[in-house]
Amino acid sequence: MSPTHVLLVDDEEVFTRNIAKLLAHRGYRVTAVNSGDAAIRALEEQPFDVLVLDLKMPGLDGIATFREMLKLGLSVETIILTGHGSIDTALEAVKLGAHDYLTKPCEIEELVAKIESAREKGRGKRP
Amino acid sequence: MANELPAAGCPESNAPPDLVAERRKSYKRLFWRFVRLTVLCSLLPLLLVGWAINLHYTSFARERMLHFFQSQVEDHRRVIERFLGEQTAKLKLIARTHDLPRLTAPGALARVFELFNQEEKTLTDLGVIGDDGFHRAYVGPYDLWSRNYSREHWFRQVMERGVYVSDMFMGFRREPHFIIAVTHTDGERAWILRATIHTEAFRALVENVRIGRTGTVYLLNAEGLYQTSPAGRAPIMEKAPYPVGEPHADIRLRTLDELPRPEGKPLARQIACEAWLKTPRWLLVVQQEYDEAFADVNHANRWTLVFLLASAATIVLATVGITRHMIGLIRRRDDEADRLNERLLQAGKLAAIGELSAGVAHEINNPLAILLTERQLLLDCAARHPLPEGEFREQFEESMSQIDIQVQRCKRITQNLLRFARRTESRLETLDVNAFIREVVELMEREARTSGIRFTTALDPALPPVVSDPSQLQQVLLNLITNAIDAHDGKPYGAIRIATRADAVSRRFTLKVADTGAGIRPEHLARIFDPFFTTKAVGKGTGLGLAITFGIVQRLGGSIQVESEPGKGTEFTIELPWEPPEELRQSLPAESRPA
Repeated sequence: MSPTHVLLVDDEEVFTRNIAKLLAHRGYRVTAVNSGDAAIRALEEQPFDVLVLDLKMPGLDGIATFREMLKLGLSVETIILTGHGSIDTALEAVKLGAHDYLTKPCEIEELVAKIESAREKGRGKRP
Repeated sequence: MANELPAAGCPESNAPPDLVAERRKSYKRLFWRFVRLTVLCSLLPLLLVGWAINLHYTSFARERMLHFFQSQVEDHRRVIERFLGEQTAKLKLIARTHDLPRLTAPGALARVFELFNQEEKTLTDLGVIGDDGFHRAYVGPYDLWSRNYSREHWFRQVMERGVYVSDMFMGFRREPHFIIAVTHTDGERAWILRATIHTEAFRALVENVRIGRTGTVYLLNAEGLYQTSPAGRAPIMEKAPYPVGEPHADIRLRTLDELPRPEGKPLARQIACEAWLKTPRWLLVVQQEYDEAFADVNHANRWTLVFLLASAATIVLATVGITRHMIGLIRRRDDEADRLNERLLQAGKLAAIGELSAGVAHEINNPLAILLTERQLLLDCAARHPLPEGEFREQFEESMSQIDIQVQRCKRITQNLLRFARRTESRLETLDVNAFIREVVELMEREARTSGIRFTTALDPALPPVVSDPSQLQQVLLNLITNAIDAHDGKPYGAIRIATRADAVSRRFTLKVADTGAGIRPEHLARIFDPFFTTKAVGKGTGLGLAITFGIVQRLGGSIQVESEPGKGTEFTIELPWEPPEELRQSLPAESRPA
């Protein structure tokens, strides 16, 4: 079985780099980008199993990216990363179809659990 | 100590002491200014009107009294003059109609004497005296036959004038009397018809008037000797203390201060009315004690004074009462305005701090997230390449653990900051507050039991299900209970009492959380709702609990009050509506509102 391919989107480069490494250590294949636009491009180029999307980003922010994605029909199980203050927005994204949300800072194991759950859900949807 | 903190703040009693003192002074000044002004505005017209009416009445009463005195003197003078005039006229008539032999005939003078005294005793005696000064005939009680009057003053006067009315004199009979004498000439010889006026009868005539208790009527001659005895006060012919002036034709009023008396204390102030008789030149005096004469006026004056004093006292009392009430109202309004200002200030402060806190928390969350990932990377590395046993490995593990602890601590702080900034989601539900409280208490009891703290509840069964935010309400309860537990630090045991009470009229309920802990010092009371204000040890509290509580209560449309006594405990009273305010409902998405 091919490793779960995760697209990680966060404007903090160090954060995406570290998370990518941590997920890679746990057997995931990770593509990290640092903006909403880059995420859309990446999604258009290739399919991903799970998208981990930060909400607060300069330019196209997380929720706008998610909406754009929906608009473009780019379907992927999404986990929203958020600061505690933007939970309302995270909930809005969940209502729009995101799989779940996670507040920063978070333990890597929490993220892994959410990714796994999203992956399971994604598998269930596929024919 | 009871401080009302409706949704925020700083009650009047917690204002700075110098401000409180200044306020008190200003209320006092305002009070006295109101009292002075009101008393002045009400008393001045009252006193002026009272004084004017009194003045008018006094002057009217005095005029009336003086008029009465004048008419008394006038009438009396007329009566006395008529009496003396009549007696003189009778003597003249007899002298003209009788010649000397006829009048001196035996029994003739006695008949005339009888005629004089027929109706009332008028004369003491009656005599016919020749120009040699001896009696030719005499009717009366005295033995005067041998007396020669030719050297007497009256004799010379009557011989000179033809008619003479004497002053009182002693004469040969050695007792005070006065005479009326007329002369007649038969041929070349003149003779005198002389009558002695009955002193008692004359006195009765003069004093035939009663003027009060102290009023007297008397006659004085030009030398100031009594011609009648004034109500037995002094003997006839004694020198009167009354100052007799020059004769005058009119009737005069005088006020006499302390007339001296030969015996006893001086007479009190007197009012006197005087008039001179034409013949003889006697002064008729009607005299009365001033106080008695004007007793009516004085009486009226006294009652006016009593009335004015009573009115003034009533006005002053009413003014003080009303002003006190008014100042109380103003004070309450000021306190209310202060509290409102404090609320606005507190709300503004909280909003500003909230905004800042949210930004700071968010910015700190990202580095924290990175820090955690860095730690995890190191741990991953260490798992793959286990460190050799030794000091470095021990230090590495301890530091990794400490980094995690501190990051978690920072996370709690940022979460609290964000909660304080109300960046958390709100959700309204219909809930049974009493059941809700029981759940929370059950949760906290376990923690509190180890500290020896006992929970008691007094929950009002009449409290219906209310619409509120359960998570925020839980936050409020947890904050208050946590504080209550912490307040027992250092005490081996204590109690926390939670009570609810429903008010169907206002459709609100109160929730009280009271503890037996250390209490809050008065200087801290005003600041306990300020964010970051804490009296707990470093690392034990963020100082956000009550600020969050305050914010939540305010948002839910309620108010929070605190009463505390250092050493005895603290009681928080939260008042909340059964239904949340409309603005809170409107601010929530439809699915966050109860059906």
